[in-house]
Amino acid sequence: MFHYDAIDAAMVADRNAEFRDQVQRRLSGELSEEQFKPLRLMNGLYLQLHSYMLRVAIPYGALSSAKMRALAHVARRWDKGYGHFTTRQNIQFHWIKLSDTPDVLDYLTTAELHAIQTSGNCIRNTTSDPFAGAAAEEVDDPRVWSEVIRQWSTFHPEFTYLPRKFKIAVTASPQDRTAARAHDIGLVLRRNREGRLGFEVIVGGGMGRTPYIGATIREHLPAEHLLSYLTAILRVYNRFGRRDNLYKARIKILVASLGAAEFARQADAEWEAMDRPKVDLPDLELARIRASFGLVPFRTLPPRSERFEAARSDPAFARFARNNIVAHKVSGYGIVQVSLKGIGEVPGDCSADQMDALADLAEQYGHGEIRVTHEQNLVLPHVPLDDAPALHAGLVAVGLATPNINLVSDMIACPGLDYCALANARAIPIAQAIGQTFADPARAEAIGELKIKISGCINACGHHHVGHIGILGVDKKGEEFYQLTLGGSGAEDAAIGHVLGPALGADKVADAIDTLVEAYMAIRQPGERFLDTYRRTGVGPFKAAVYPDAHQA
Amino acid sequence: MSEQLKVLTANDLAGGQVVFRTETGWSDRYADALIYDDALSADAALESARAATLTLADPYLIDVAAVEGLPVPTSYRERIRALGPTIHPDMGPQAEGGVLVHALQQARGAARSSGRLGLIRRK
Repeated sequence: MFHYDAIDAAMVADRNAEFRDQVQRRLSGELSEEQFKPLRLMNGLYLQLHSYMLRVAIPYGALSSAKMRALAHVARRWDKGYGHFTTRQNIQFHWIKLSDTPDVLDYLTTAELHAIQTSGNCIRNTTSDPFAGAAAEEVDDPRVWSEVIRQWSTFHPEFTYLPRKFKIAVTASPQDRTAARAHDIGLVLRRNREGRLGFEVIVGGGMGRTPYIGATIREHLPAEHLLSYLTAILRVYNRFGRRDNLYKARIKILVASLGAAEFARQADAEWEAMDRPKVDLPDLELARIRASFGLVPFRTLPPRSERFEAARSDPAFARFARNNIVAHKVSGYGIVQVSLKGIGEVPGDCSADQMDALADLAEQYGHGEIRVTHEQNLVLPHVPLDDAPALHAGLVAVGLATPNINLVSDMIACPGLDYCALANARAIPIAQAIGQTFADPARAEAIGELKIKISGCINACGHHHVGHIGILGVDKKGEEFYQLTLGGSGAEDAAIGHVLGPALGADKVADAIDTLVEAYMAIRQPGERFLDTYRRTGVGPFKAAVYPDAHQA
Repeated sequence: MSEQLKVLTANDLAGGQVVFRTETGWSDRYADALIYDDALSADAALESARAATLTLADPYLIDVAAVEGLPVPTSYRERIRALGPTIHPDMGPQAEGGVLVHALQQARGAARSSGRLGLIRRK
């Protein structure tokens, strides 16, 4: 994986020293809270409901065993022994003290980790495919381009004070595991008929209170012009994005108000006028970045592993293999997905002991690589199938072998009102109740792929708009209520869900999901996922099932 | 009609934990909180908390109501904030237990805190 060079290391060290000084000046009263707040936010430190929260960047979701151990150490020494992996492939520590933060950040540099640009109106961590370098169908390694964007966007002077935060996703596989169409910019890497690499450039997607699926403004931008074209888009946004209204400041509002065609025209005009060679990445630097990935010393293995096949006689392993292991581009290897959605557990949470165990298992069986997914799970991308049974046993030992990837209990949930100062309602207890409702793994498997996503407020960190079933917490006259949406998707078939009906009380939500699932099971046709059935039948049968007493319109 | 009861709360600047104004200073325990029964003294206390920038962040007043003789925040957000995450009863002030913690855990309903407006800007 990518390692800091001397310039990167010096930049992070300088930044940490600067922040240590700022914290000191805040604690001594030289800086007011008003002056200090933007400074701490730029270093990933929020003040939440019960405590400060430190959000540590995990660039494009890629961790090494050493980085994972560093996160475990932070959780143990400065937090309450756990961390929360987020829908942006980052990790949050929910119990950090302001006075400890400079030490935490200094410690993180020992593992090349930082919290820069995990908050603020700047270009945030680039989302990428957790299967990068392992997926058979990818046309290039998306981490290379994500790293290019990371270097370009870090401390970019022109784009440090944008109208609002800015999120970019890069995928290089037809199957989108990044929610690219729900980002400010989604980049889908493809080869054209001549075999040249280029990006489909999608702009103006997003969630929050006005969700949009992004519009494609370029079908095939030559890959070498990525940075100049991104610069052009950001310039148009920086110039014309609204700064008068927080809720209308994201690029999606600008794209929607101009229309995608006009936005594209303005971006193109900016691009044409630019001194592009000055902005685009030199080939040499691209080659240097590329060389730091893809160095996994794969062995030559037969495609069929006898040990793997023999282990399938254990039903628990067989179920794990069916749901959590997918094909690797290299023969004899598998991509192992580690669910952080244990039944009754907190989605995305991972204890320090589990982090350490994962670091060891990744080192032992997976070339020391771990990925974070935007669906709040982890991935060991390169595991020899021969080692999968031993890895599975290791995961069982630390409670991380839940065989439910992409199934009903594999939910996204934001921290909600249990932690977040912005939330209107809790999200985690709802996820826990749904998990218990579908605790039977055989039933969950019979239901098939079903993505439930839960947000505790309209800011939509839990991606509810793009859930096959979305759940949005609202405050209704001082009680927590939950609005269901159906038919969303964050994948390549991206769509925004539609509201099913009036919001439900907290104790009714899991039952309503059960009812929706039963309705689907009753009417599905062979091979149909929940989403497919919904798209075929529309909302009618689902609405009738959950609201049987409602008057027909 | 009697005045709206208030409690003054903030976060400790260095530690981040939730604190409440007491008779003599600030406490991590909601049970120690001073109950203001007139708007004037509550507002005056808020003003002086705003001046205490060396130790506090984001002070604001919350509404409380007597429930079976105990002062309980009327909004569930403020009850959760006073208790700790509901999913981890062992974390935060709720871990201590006691009559008032139990009363907060049992309380239901009522509108959100008046202090919540504009939070997205305050985070």
